[in-house]
Amino acid sequence: MKILVCLKQVPHSDARLDIAGDGKWIQEDNIKFEINSYDTYALEEALKLKDAGEAEVVAVSIGPDRVTQALRTALGMGADRAIHVNDPAMEGSDSLGIAKVLAAIVKEESPDLVFAGLMSEDGNFAAVPPMVAQLAGLPSSTAVMSVSLADGTVTVERELEGGALEVVQLPTPCLLAVQSGLNQVRYASLKGIMAAKKKPMDTKTAADLGVGDQVGAGAAKVEIEKVYTPPRGEGAQLIEGSADEVATQLVGKIKELGLL
Amino acid sequence: MGTILIVAEIQKGVIREASFELAAFAQKLAGSGHEVKSLVVGQGVKGLAEEFAQRGGGEVLVAEAEALANYSADAFTQATLAAVAASGADLVLISNTPSGWDFAPRVAAALDAAFVTDCFDVSDEGGAIGFKRRIFNGKLDAQVKATGTVVATVQPGATPAFEGSTEGKTTDLDAGIGECKTKFVEIKIAESKGVDLTKADVIVSGGRGLGAPEKFTEVVQPLADALGGAMGASRPVVDAGWLPHEYQVGSSGQVVTPKLYIAVGISGAIQHLVGMKGSNFIVAINKDPDAPIFEVADVGVVADLFDIVPALTAAVTAAKG
Repeated sequence: MKILVCLKQVPHSDARLDIAGDGKWIQEDNIKFEINSYDTYALEEALKLKDAGEAEVVAVSIGPDRVTQALRTALGMGADRAIHVNDPAMEGSDSLGIAKVLAAIVKEESPDLVFAGLMSEDGNFAAVPPMVAQLAGLPSSTAVMSVSLADGTVTVERELEGGALEVVQLPTPCLLAVQSGLNQVRYASLKGIMAAKKKPMDTKTAADLGVGDQVGAGAAKVEIEKVYTPPRGEGAQLIEGSADEVATQLVGKIKELGLL
Repeated sequence: MGTILIVAEIQKGVIREASFELAAFAQKLAGSGHEVKSLVVGQGVKGLAEEFAQRGGGEVLVAEAEALANYSADAFTQATLAAVAASGADLVLISNTPSGWDFAPRVAAALDAAFVTDCFDVSDEGGAIGFKRRIFNGKLDAQVKATGTVVATVQPGATPAFEGSTEGKTTDLDAGIGECKTKFVEIKIAESKGVDLTKADVIVSGGRGLGAPEKFTEVVQPLADALGGAMGASRPVVDAGWLPHEYQVGSSGQVVTPKLYIAVGISGAIQHLVGMKGSNFIVAINKDPDAPIFEVADVGVVADLFDIVPALTAAVTAAKG
């Protein structure tokens, strides 16, 4: 069995979010990056299937040189090889452009399963995984909370609202976009990190994949014109002072509510 | 000046509130010359389609088929594509619900269309449609421009539901549903394991700012106990395995409306805010002054929670005598 895992490297969840000079994204220089947390769950689910039987796990990511670090981490956790699409021509691509590149890789690799995270922690689009599936002709499911595989049929539980789950069956090959929390993500062991150095990492461009003319800002149909700090509503009344002074004032508020 | 197609959603035998919110955005755009059409899919949904036609849906296409009786990504994608072809729509509006986010990207990819998700505002910017949406889990907003045919999903609750009436009509649409690989099996309601936060008068919830699982018993639980309330948590805490899922407050956990909600070390991702913003009184304690939680809080404390919470617990205990 071959499993492809799509990973995105995103700004670290604790990184400072300063708006870039052109006002269209954040300042990405000199901040830390990490694998998108949803995607770490996707990778873990693939590695669990590998642990339970025979599987080759291929990690795929798109982005500049820094992305090799994310792929090395994935290899260190147990992925067998990596594909890095490193192509300046992809700068400014929208979700559809990214999906076209990943769909081209899916067609080239013909995996039995494709795993991705439900959404990225930076753009929060949740767009790419089902788009990849549609373009590659695969069925897909999203917000997946459990995966079981038997005789070429995948049964998943999808998260709905209010604690409800929807049980869905799909044939392989298929794409699953996982919800966070469906497993406990492993750490890369020291041994794993050492072994990762010898694992293969292919570097490709969009042109290598035959979609060079469908990526980048020129092909994008969606453009972020401006990012800004959300306008504050009336906002909270701020209480300041020492811890004890703050506590006294809060107790006053709680008393007003009739709760003390 | 184009045609908008609203894809309405049926849940538990009624049209979801979120669909009337899509109608509100669409009818606002109708004011600047856009035509409003809708799609209702399911089985035995003619009556609902007629209702929607009169409550903002305009001309409603009704796609009925056995394959549409329950949600499936393949069948809903095919029905929507058939409706786009029949209506000539150049803007498709879908609610960002668990089914919406599942099939909307497939529709966009099949149409080779622009795709914008989870928008909280849709407006006419002199011919082009402008979208606003949250990024970085609500820490920033983005203004987005889309060209050509656009598929957009809209955040439920982003605008009040359409309250007016429209002169609508319904037309049957033969969606010609073909092969569906994704198969609906059943919907399971997760068993409650005893933590019912929806009945608590006071909830003290902790987030990633607590830093470690034992801090919940050391810091959060004592304040909840002192106030005679319950303890809750944000999604990252539950995902990390610090607390079981039944403690989670948010759109995918419990939606709560206590008299007092104290958010400790919670930044306020949108999925958490949806679950608690209906609380009567909200106190937020967080060291990041830009945390979105302060937007919905009545009272905020920008400070280290490990200083404030123990002091508050002591003060509450003292006040009780």
